[in-house]
Amino acid sequence: MEQSKMPLRLRQEVMESGNCARCGLCVGLCPYIKTMNERIAFIHDCNREDGTCYRVCPRTPTNLSDLDKQVFGKERADHGLGNYLEILYARSLNKDLAQAGQYGGVVSTLAAYMVESGESQAAVLTKRQNNSPPTPCLARNREEVLSCSGSNYSASPTLSILNAGVRSGLEKLTIVGRPCQILGLRKMQALTERSEHNMSAKKVDFLIGLFCFWSLETEIYTYLRGKTGSARLLRMDIPQNYGVVTTENGEIQIPIDELRAFIRPTCQSCFDPTSEFADVSVGSTEYDPEWSTLIIRSTRGQEIVNKVCNAGHLETKPYPEERLPLLLNAVINKKKRVLESLSNGKGYEYLELSSDYTQGIEEGGVGR
Amino acid sequence: MTAKVLNIIVTGVGGQGNVLASQVIATAAVDSGYFVSVGETFGASQRGGSVTSHIRVSKVSAYGPLIPQGEADFILGFEPLETLRTFRDYGNSSTQVIMNVRPNYPLGVLLNEDQYPDIPVLTGNLRVQSQKLWALEATNLAVDVGVPVGTNMVMTGAFAGVQFLPISFLAYETVLKGMFAGEILDLNLAAFQVGVKAVS
Amino acid sequence: MSFMSLQVNEPGRSVLMTGNEAITRGAIEAGLSFAASYPGSPTSEILAHLGRLANEHNLYAEWSVNEKVAIEEAAAASFAGLRSLCIVKQNGLNVALDSLVSIAISGIKAGMVLVVGDDPGAHSSTNEEDSRLLSKVVHIPIFEPSTPEEAKQMTLAAYELSENLKLPVTLRCVTRISHASGNVTLGELQNVNKQAIFAKKDRYVTNAALHQLQEVKLAKIRQIADTLPFNTYKGPQNAKTVIIASGPSALYAPEAVNALGLDNEVGVLKLGMTWPLPEKFLLEHMKHAERVIFIEEIESFNEDNVMALAAQHISEIYPLEFYGQKSGHVTGPKGPGVGEMDPDKVKQSIARVLGVENNQAAEKPSLKLETPDVPVREMAFCAGCPHRASFWAMKSAVALDGRNAVVLGDIGCYSLALRRTGWALPQTMHAMGSSAGIANGLGKLERFGFKQPVIAVVGDSTFFHSTIPALVNARYTRANFLLVVLDNETTAMTGHQPHPGMSKNAMGEIVEGLQIEEVVKGLKLPVVIQDPYDVKGTTEVVYKLLQSEGTKVLVLSQACALVAAKASTRPRVYIDQEQCIGDSCGCNRFCSATFTCPATIWDPKKGKALIDEVVCNRCQVCVSLCPQGAIKVEGGANLDR
Ligand SMILES: Cc1cc2nc3c(=O)[nH]c(=O)nc-3n(C[C@H](O)[C@H](O)[C@H](O)COP(=O)(O)OP(=O)(O)OC[C@H]3O[C@@H](n4cnc5c(N)ncnc54)[C@H](O)[C@@H]3O)c2cc1C
Repeated sequence: MEQSKMPLRLRQEVMESGNCARCGLCVGLCPYIKTMNERIAFIHDCNREDGTCYRVCPRTPTNLSDLDKQVFGKERADHGLGNYLEILYARSLNKDLAQAGQYGGVVSTLAAYMVESGESQAAVLTKRQNNSPPTPCLARNREEVLSCSGSNYSASPTLSILNAGVRSGLEKLTIVGRPCQILGLRKMQALTERSEHNMSAKKVDFLIGLFCFWSLETEIYTYLRGKTGSARLLRMDIPQNYGVVTTENGEIQIPIDELRAFIRPTCQSCFDPTSEFADVSVGSTEYDPEWSTLIIRSTRGQEIVNKVCNAGHLETKPYPEERLPLLLNAVINKKKRVLESLSNGKGYEYLELSSDYTQGIEEGGVGR
Repeated sequence: MTAKVLNIIVTGVGGQGNVLASQVIATAAVDSGYFVSVGETFGASQRGGSVTSHIRVSKVSAYGPLIPQGEADFILGFEPLETLRTFRDYGNSSTQVIMNVRPNYPLGVLLNEDQYPDIPVLTGNLRVQSQKLWALEATNLAVDVGVPVGTNMVMTGAFAGVQFLPISFLAYETVLKGMFAGEILDLNLAAFQVGVKAVS
Repeated sequence: MSFMSLQVNEPGRSVLMTGNEAITRGAIEAGLSFAASYPGSPTSEILAHLGRLANEHNLYAEWSVNEKVAIEEAAAASFAGLRSLCIVKQNGLNVALDSLVSIAISGIKAGMVLVVGDDPGAHSSTNEEDSRLLSKVVHIPIFEPSTPEEAKQMTLAAYELSENLKLPVTLRCVTRISHASGNVTLGELQNVNKQAIFAKKDRYVTNAALHQLQEVKLAKIRQIADTLPFNTYKGPQNAKTVIIASGPSALYAPEAVNALGLDNEVGVLKLGMTWPLPEKFLLEHMKHAERVIFIEEIESFNEDNVMALAAQHISEIYPLEFYGQKSGHVTGPKGPGVGEMDPDKVKQSIARVLGVENNQAAEKPSLKLETPDVPVREMAFCAGCPHRASFWAMKSAVALDGRNAVVLGDIGCYSLALRRTGWALPQTMHAMGSSAGIANGLGKLERFGFKQPVIAVVGDSTFFHSTIPALVNARYTRANFLLVVLDNETTAMTGHQPHPGMSKNAMGEIVEGLQIEEVVKGLKLPVVIQDPYDVKGTTEVVYKLLQSEGTKVLVLSQACALVAAKASTRPRVYIDQEQCIGDSCGCNRFCSATFTCPATIWDPKKGKALIDEVVCNRCQVCVSLCPQGAIKVEGGANLDR
């Protein structure tokens, strides 16, 4: 990696060029990068040559095959979904978590298990704030995990709390994050030659990734306030072709085109809609809102899911054969769109993709 | 005193109390029957800038408040860098210097853009260039007396002690007694004495 | 500084006084009753002294809200038969000018003296302004002292002249008079017990018809000027070269002439009254001269006026050559009129005119060694200054907001924010309160596509001085901006004078201070009060306020560090060098090299940060900003936060 004025490059190439994914991992490494209202900015020019901020950013050059080897010990066979061991349907057996969860409450159930069992000291989650941007949360018990259930569709930089949490002495952390957040954490874990104080990701030992095809601009909350008035917003979902917000006064449907206006442009340059580097990834089934899709990727993921199932908190069932191509197509199509925008010079290129990877995508993903 | 006018420069950084020191010296000189002019630059005094007083003492007449370049007979430097700066502009080979060796770093040095001269190098330079240099740990001496802000009185005491101006210690002490009272007076007198001793 | 000498009642004794003390003493010897001022360097100390002496000498001294009010009050006292004094700096005269013009027309009763401090070289000012031009516009006479001794004598003379002519009189001091010290011969202290009365028959009205009377008064003064002891000539009779100088230049000139060995050839004519001119006196000396050299500070005021006089009398004095700023001979390195005069510039200028060698270089024994590099010492916020925290918070909020907010600076210590110590955040700076006026303007440009938020930053004293009308305007015209008041509970810039927000007045009496938020609330504008030492909280508040529409006010309240430090029992702050990891931290030496508090320095031996405890004012702001948590407070205490 070229070592010149990395913080400056982060500012110019990522932040000021609109490519920031807002993962939040660079916030709190130093006194210069801060966040407010989901925006991340340098408050002062940092003229250092080297910069952890730049190295760990999910939007700076990243070699996917190196990362595959680092996390899973091997390159991927599936260019759609990445490395994985198993793909399932899953749902929570805990009523409250199932009820509050976005779909099957799987994420919350896993996170709750981690903090309750002592596997983790805390989980880094994202907490809904009615009609305002959500806030990061270091959940240390089941109650706190429960209070963070459900999806917020903006790109909230919730990893910003990680560095502060680790500095306060926390270890063994669970992280729930969007694909970009998972990627950033893995990049930080990859900085093995560094034993610096700010290598927070090294204290993270369970990564739950969400599916995420795109996120929305913060302005969505102002927009939603316009729709819901003063009613408390309880839940938001985006089924196939419209949005639904649930408030204390009932449901309001939102035309998909209106929502699309809030999609963050940088999400169109993202190759990873399923959190390919997480220990487990969770998404919708696009079919049955009682269940979530659960991709077990690493042995660590397998181990935890087994424990949670054995403890009676989670049930799983096989992923319906006939639905797998639908998921794969959606993922491959997104990746193809990104490749296309790159080849006509519109996209933002940050991934170092070997020809194997690009070819794999062109050929539709699986089976090579 | 044979010269028509003696030129003394008191120099330091805002907040070090060097204006007060120059006032004590100048008042003692007036009370001892001299014509004195003091030119003071203390606009920046509260904001960390250089603060310099030109004191001109004459038996004959009142002089202008500024000393021509190269014509300082004595430099009382509260801070090494400022002492060096003043010597560079106003000193000559017969200039005598008392310098407090404790540095106060300017912004450019804090910003890591400028280099603060090495204290031994700086001291050596002044020692060679001047007629005589007294390098004092004035701030530490003041801290020892229990008044870090009393550095100015230690320096004043040192100036009185070297007897560059034929003014009695009593004249200085009378000035201090007119300015302060009670415990503060005692501390200032103590610091003054420490300064006198430091050069004797 | 030698305040005690002001109280010595030993007529004839010579004591050391600053120019400001000499004027104070002169005013009291003249039987002063009423003084009003707004602080401004270099003249601030005069009113401060008068305030302390008020009781003893049965006089009234006031720090007024601004100079316009101050001069109106001084005029009022004069109307009522009391000798009065108004003290301003150059910029202050601009503020007072509108009223002064009228007061000079209406005339006054008891002696009224206006002290104006000009600041050649702008030691403590935003500009170099020659106030003599304004006094000329106003049609009032100008005394210009060249020593503290003269400053006192002229103060006395100014009262006499003012009372005789029923006209205010200007005493123009430059920094090298006000802040210089010298021997002053004491006179009798007065303790007048005057009865104030506004006589039933008296009228003081501004009226164009009175212009003629003003001209008559000036003509009278012109005659008086010729006999004044302050206009002097020293040098050989019928010298071919005459230097016309005023102010401290009148001392630099003879010293330079002497150094150049020209005592027998060059004469020095000192002008003590620079407007109107002592015409006969001048002409008399110009007649024998072949060349005249003008030396004065800032504008070519004497030069222009004397040359006009000479032109009028050309047949009597021809041939005569004029050298000065106009000819380019009298100048410092930055050009004629720019920067302050000093003995070296004067010497070089004279040598340049006369074509003699400036023997200075030869005279100065050359230094034996090369001097090591001497880095400049920039002005910076003091250790613990709340402004540093305030500007860091504003800078953070502006960056986080991301819409290129425009920050508008104003006059006070916080003007330093234009420099590196304040990360050059403000983009404009003009006169007292101007930031709020400019914010009013920018705050209405939305209709022209202007989308940047606007922040005007004023101090507490500036708020009262001239920001309030702009706020009224903002409320009326619905301007879109945030006014940040840096409330450090004093007029810090000029030496901690009280202002209407404080519970003490110039004479040390306890009064009811006016709270800034009271004023803002009275205007029905939203106001938030915040402690700037809480940098994170302040950043959030500024950010939030920037997101809202309309005019809003944020008061950042924290006492000036220099005042607070004096009264402080705050615990010691230190750096735990075990915990500071130096350059391997991502902070890039935040405390010393970015936040640049003079108390947090770099310890090159250990490669870690260090606190200079002699300099530290123990504000604890750095404690909250160190990303490594390495800055500690003894006993773990944490101020009120
Ligand atoms: C911005 C965004 C876009 C998404 N897009 C898709 C998609 O296109 N297709 C799809 O199948 N699934 C998508 N998801 C995932 C989906 O909404 C559910 O989060 C997922 O199915 C898990 O459901 P659950 O009931 O198991 O989770 P829950 O038990 O409800 O837990 C949800 C978890 O998500 C975390 N969270 C909420 N908001 C955020 C956020 N903004 N950033 C990071 N973490 C957050 C919470 O902390 C909580 O732990 C998206 C999620 C987000 C946040």
